[in-house]
Amino acid sequence: MGLFGKKKRALDPADDLKNQPVPEGSHLLEVDDLKMYFHTQDGVVKAVDGVSYTLDRGETLGVVGESGSGKSVTHMTIMGLIDMPPGKIEGGDIRYRGRSLLEMTEEQMQHIRGNDIAMIFQDPMTSLNPVYTIGRQLGEGLRLHRGYSKEQALQRAVELLDMVGIPNPEQRVKDYPHQFSGGMRQRVMIAMALACDPDILIADEPTTALDVTIQAQIIELMQEMQKKNGNAIVMITHDLGVVADVADKIMVMYAGHPVEFGTAEEIFYNPVHPYTWGLIRSIPKPAGDEKESLTPIEGNPPSLVNLPAGCPFSPRCPYATDRCRTEMPELYVTETGHYSRCHFSGDAAFVAKNAPANSRSAAPASAEEGGEA
Amino acid sequence: MTDKNTKLDQQAEVVEADSEQVEASKPSRTLWSDAWNRLRKNKLALIGAAWIIFVIVVAVTADLWAPQLLGSPTEIDSATVAANSKLPPSLEHPFGTDATGRDQLVRVIYGARISLAVGVVATLISTAIGLVMGGIAAYYGGIWDTIIMRLADMFLAIPYTLFVIVMLAVIGQGIQNVFIAIGILGWPSIARVFRSAILSVKENDYVDAARAMGASDLRIIARHIFPNSVASIVVYATMNIGGAILTESALSFLGMGVTPPTPSWGIMIQDGQKFLQTEPWLMILPGLAILTTVLAFTLLGDGLRDALDVKMKDA
Repeated sequence: MGLFGKKKRALDPADDLKNQPVPEGSHLLEVDDLKMYFHTQDGVVKAVDGVSYTLDRGETLGVVGESGSGKSVTHMTIMGLIDMPPGKIEGGDIRYRGRSLLEMTEEQMQHIRGNDIAMIFQDPMTSLNPVYTIGRQLGEGLRLHRGYSKEQALQRAVELLDMVGIPNPEQRVKDYPHQFSGGMRQRVMIAMALACDPDILIADEPTTALDVTIQAQIIELMQEMQKKNGNAIVMITHDLGVVADVADKIMVMYAGHPVEFGTAEEIFYNPVHPYTWGLIRSIPKPAGDEKESLTPIEGNPPSLVNLPAGCPFSPRCPYATDRCRTEMPELYVTETGHYSRCHFSGDAAFVAKNAPANSRSAAPASAEEGGEA
Repeated sequence: MTDKNTKLDQQAEVVEADSEQVEASKPSRTLWSDAWNRLRKNKLALIGAAWIIFVIVVAVTADLWAPQLLGSPTEIDSATVAANSKLPPSLEHPFGTDATGRDQLVRVIYGARISLAVGVVATLISTAIGLVMGGIAAYYGGIWDTIIMRLADMFLAIPYTLFVIVMLAVIGQGIQNVFIAIGILGWPSIARVFRSAILSVKENDYVDAARAMGASDLRIIARHIFPNSVASIVVYATMNIGGAILTESALSFLGMGVTPPTPSWGIMIQDGQKFLQTEPWLMILPGLAILTTVLAFTLLGDGLRDALDVKMKDA
């Protein structure tokens, strides 16, 4: 084993991008009007179409949307993990500490991955290689990026396992993935992602495959690690409820477009896009009346090959007008950076009339059912 | 917390009181010791392995004892040809003697050297070419996949033995050329097996996870894809050794392989077939040597397939 890949890149930590200061006027991560299209036999799939956001250390960004809304593809693009072709970046830029990731060579990107930007995946049951011990897999990043020896890497793996709350870590590093439960494996994945102390942790639906009690533990663990390491987190989820407590900023995506972006406060208490309203109305209320049914968003997401004319949400939007069906809305941006892609987001009377009832009030406790449209 | 967890683990063990499961939760074991544990329980595979080891030991150490006990495998003693010709099996000549008075057992033993060498070397050549070709086809896909796999189809479309004979006719006879011919022509099957193994392994999330960790293509192939698809290669290569032995025997039988007087099982069958009705042991005993050895490789290959299947651990 390890016939190849033994080549160690002796790296000076001072050369690491993450140890260099963020240039004046830049953010840790800036995604600027990113467009990733897939050229397939059925036509051009506009999987990511004009995504913009910024992220700084210590912040958590929640990215919310249905399946196929482009939230995963956006972040796979940031990691440089999309096969091109069929994918093609049609515009925009991704800047990490002021440096464009799109202009980097594959070798430079290999060093960014895992070392500066790490990612954890949805299904912990299949994300670990069954033929290696946990310890060996935990140490892989350190051996790759830091030139650790086998012994050093194993030593650090024990510490990492301990850090993410796995009991008896000295014994457990010698175990194989199938000897761990799902929640434990996701803890291992988090430890693995954080091994090289990355600036940004991208978590792609980290709790979707886990049961509800474990979900809370995993999210808590990620927050705890963030407090300790100061890294930024991008939490990709289809569940607005998951990010409610943890996100500083939230981006709501629909059909490849970010339809609303703002602080968690703004998204929950002052949302201005009808799709966001729909998502908020679909969150089950733990204290609610059992007989009371949720208000779903009618219909299905559109095909990305054949997007409807005008606003992509218009076929499902209860407030859609003829203008919505013919004309793509411009971004409506407020002075705080809160933006929305809807013709009527600027219309205070329209928003006040149709937004979910609790959204106008500042106090979260006074949640009342409402939202008569 | 720790106590609680170990307690839970113990309970889980009791629930799954399957002996293998309990064994599986001992922390000291590795992938290979795990495979060995499973292989140990497969009687047929063990018999195959034991026979292979026996044949190897006999063949390798033959120079030290066989000629002294049984006489030279190649030289013909013209003075005693008539007296020793085609003797039936006896204590002195357990496998009898051939038409020129040479001991059959010593010839079978030296024939094993040729057969094993051809089997192993040819398979190594096939496997090396097959791994590279299959690896490129599966990992890079697209046009590479098409070119390599269509080339493999072309190789497989031509009758194998005929192809080997034509190749030997072109590059000339001799043991090295038998290695090369069988080795080169064996790659398409290995490439196919390896390609499909990679394609199924490649879809796993841990390959994505490794890429997201910053691993290079070569590292992903060597560290993540290869170990997870090596089982099918080991199995296929083991069985392929048996196949190569058969091919060498067939070639020698047809006079295209090893040149006499070097003993080869194929040549011995060729020599013995003339006497099948009168002195059947001359053909049957070398035939049995081929049969048992090829069967042993097949049984071992089968056992390895079950033992190396990582997925069986979870079951």
